[in-house]
Amino acid sequence: MWKRTTQGRELHFYLAGINNQNFLMRDRETGSWWQQVTGRAIAGKLAGSALELMPNDELTFALWKSEAPHGLVLAPVAGHGDKDYDKKWEEETAKYPVPLTFPEQGLKDRDVILGVEMSGQARAFPLEKLRGPIPVEDKIAGVPVVFVTGPDGESVRLFRSQWNGMDIDLYRDAQRGPQSAGKSPEWQLLDSLGNTWNFAGCATSGPATGQCLEKINYLKDYWFDWKNYNPRTTVYSH
Amino acid sequence: MIAPNYRSKNSGLWLALTLLTLFSLSLFLIPGFIIRPFTHQSEPGLRMAIAVKLIAPAFTVVALIGLLALSWRLWRCSSLWLRTGIVTALLLSVTSTVMVRQNYFEWMFNPIKAAGFVSAGDAHLDDKEMVMAVRIAQEARAYPILQMAYHHILNDTVAEVPIVVTY
Repeated sequence: MWKRTTQGRELHFYLAGINNQNFLMRDRETGSWWQQVTGRAIAGKLAGSALELMPNDELTFALWKSEAPHGLVLAPVAGHGDKDYDKKWEEETAKYPVPLTFPEQGLKDRDVILGVEMSGQARAFPLEKLRGPIPVEDKIAGVPVVFVTGPDGESVRLFRSQWNGMDIDLYRDAQRGPQSAGKSPEWQLLDSLGNTWNFAGCATSGPATGQCLEKINYLKDYWFDWKNYNPRTTVYSH
Repeated sequence: MIAPNYRSKNSGLWLALTLLTLFSLSLFLIPGFIIRPFTHQSEPGLRMAIAVKLIAPAFTVVALIGLLALSWRLWRCSSLWLRTGIVTALLLSVTSTVMVRQNYFEWMFNPIKAAGFVSAGDAHLDDKEMVMAVRIAQEARAYPILQMAYHHILNDTVAEVPIVVTY
């Protein structure tokens, strides 16, 4: 997701082609060609320009709705039904041949990774290693970060695990234990400073109450695509 | 026999007609072949495909005008077979001229011309369905991935910020 302005000019994009299974788009204003995954213009008048990333989340609908009850949802477009909005698209895409292969780092080409780039350092986190009740901590370019799986067990967010200049360890509230009497306990994270944090990364109690952790954007991608655009990427392995 | 004599005299024109037809076709087919799904696109290949696509609209017209002029010249002294050849060349060139103006990727994946939105409460989505979510100022929007994985691109404006949602 990108801001579609460059040098103060608003652009309108349309689908224009494919490059190693990542699509190319053009803008109506200049006809320049852009790579979707990088937000960079690769040909045309604006070649070399880069779009600014628009921070976004990939969440389950239920979780998004709980956080944004007054939000708006893109409606299905008239004339398009289950044939186009294919519920099995992920399984089917997984069967497609890959145009590039990078077997050297222990991942399969179509392994789904969350790619993070900070201060010029890129790292791929296999999604299957991230989802779960225990937050996954790491350091990228010297910055402590933590992946957290939300109360839906599906949605994943990445935060800078620092508050007030201090590194903090986040862990799930174990004392509340499993759900009792059919009512699930409120989902929260704790830290060693006595704060509790919600999945939006904001402190709900403790000294940090009302403050939020810095959310870091990641890109959910296939390994081969991430590696193609981040040739020096490392892979998380703990 | 007059025809063979004419033909030999016109052999240069026939060669020009053949080459112009192939040139016109290549303007459509070369990028079409390079930028096709499921295959590897090399950097120089992609660069060439894009360069060809940029000149194709103008050059297919130039080729078509040249072909029309040649056809005019060759028609009267041509047998039925050769006239069939002239018509074929013109049809191929017209096809190429039309096709380089088409965005067939949008035939496969129709664009969203006018996006509609429903409130979170009115949306008929499964709880587990994944959405791309954005929040700007006080405005929150969700784009179902099922829809975006087909349309791929949506130009939207949220809290007066123009964004492009891509998947």
